[in-house]
Amino acid sequence: MPLHWLVILVVTGIAGIALITHRLGWSAPRRFTTEAEARAAWAREFPDLPAGTVALTRQGAAALVMTAQGPGLVWPMGADSAARLLTGAKARPTTKGLDLHLPDPSAPHLRLVLDPDEVKSWARVIDGGDTWLS
Amino acid sequence: MAELSYPDVTQLAVPVFIAAILIEVWWISSKKRGGRYETRDAVTSLIMGAGSVVAGILLGFVAWGFFSALWAVTPLDLGTSVWVIALCFVLDDLRYYWVHRFGHRVRWVWASHVNHHSSQHYNLTTALRQTWTGTFTFMMVLRAPLILLGFHPAMVLFVGGLNLIYQFWIHTEAITKMPRWFEAVMNTPSHHRVHHGRNARYLDANYAGVFIVWDKMFGTFVPEQDEKVDYGLVRNIGTFNPLRVAFHEWQGIWRDVTQQGLTWRERLMYCVAPPGWSHDGSRDTSETIKAKHLARNPQDKGTPGFS
Ligand SMILES: [Zn+2]
Ligand SMILES: [Zn+2]
Repeated sequence: MPLHWLVILVVTGIAGIALITHRLGWSAPRRFTTEAEARAAWAREFPDLPAGTVALTRQGAAALVMTAQGPGLVWPMGADSAARLLTGAKARPTTKGLDLHLPDPSAPHLRLVLDPDEVKSWARVIDGGDTWLS
Repeated sequence: MAELSYPDVTQLAVPVFIAAILIEVWWISSKKRGGRYETRDAVTSLIMGAGSVVAGILLGFVAWGFFSALWAVTPLDLGTSVWVIALCFVLDDLRYYWVHRFGHRVRWVWASHVNHHSSQHYNLTTALRQTWTGTFTFMMVLRAPLILLGFHPAMVLFVGGLNLIYQFWIHTEAITKMPRWFEAVMNTPSHHRVHHGRNARYLDANYAGVFIVWDKMFGTFVPEQDEKVDYGLVRNIGTFNPLRVAFHEWQGIWRDVTQQGLTWRERLMYCVAPPGWSHDGSRDTSETIKAKHLARNPQDKGTPGFS
């Protein structure tokens, strides 16, 4: 197969599959509607480090989790979830919430969507200034 | 040796891959079962697949040069009969088993292979989530015996391509079980689902490419149980960025190796010890994950995956 045909096939194939799955409604991001869901998502990644207090963002786009090793975060990975401890994380406010930088190459950068009044308290916890949201 | 050439089967298979993915998508959407798709996950997998082909074109000369040198020195030439190709296919599948086992037990090789396991989905696009950095693992040395035995390098690459194509169709939840005799000999969707599991029970199992018999021979076979497979990594990645997916574990090795205050042995261990090894024991390997699981669930002791 000539190379340019292969390239055309691959590009249209990827675009087509993206479009079809999107049209089928398979691109809606995971939302955490209850504390229990966030807790389960945390336990799935850290079965030996129980979640204490859990705080969902108002839009359900992530959850802060308090643990014996400090705060952690659960967030949607497409239809699924990921979780990390926030040791060494840096938070920067944006117009939509917070930009997080984690010292972890497998989850280096996150955009947290927060309501304006949530931003300050979340940033304090993530930067380690506060032990918990008041 | 330029006279012997085989078709580039992975490139020829591209239309088949795309058609099969569309059929699987149609099947799942109409039956409401048989798997899950998510747009960004699928696109990332497909980009990893395309990038893997590009990496092969850019870096293939390294392996090819190595194989050509071996072919030049070996006095053996088994020829090109169908039986030789068939034997080459079987022996190359044994080679695949060991490359794949090293891929999970040596962090240097895992850094390349991790991306294949980085999706939390298990569908036909997951099959195409292939590495970009395989050349840097030096695992081409495991093909050296085949070439020294007299299998032509072009044949060795050809059967390796067929092996990867075989593995495409087993990345699906739409097929529950194949006939008994088939499950006994061949790698199947059921066996390979286990391999993609992050459940403690399913870690480090079913390394087979085409024939599951290697796992049974070398003691790494775990049949799929009632326990549902949870796909992905022990610590799931938090990015769909293909560059991150391709390189994150190499970055992780670099960070670990360049920490201050380590001995040279510890630095080496961060490269070659099993994934999860750490100099201070602060991380989990598959052994400690299984042990901790058994501490929480003692009733699982002695059941498949915990022997
Ligand atoms: Zn694997
Ligand atoms: Zn696989």
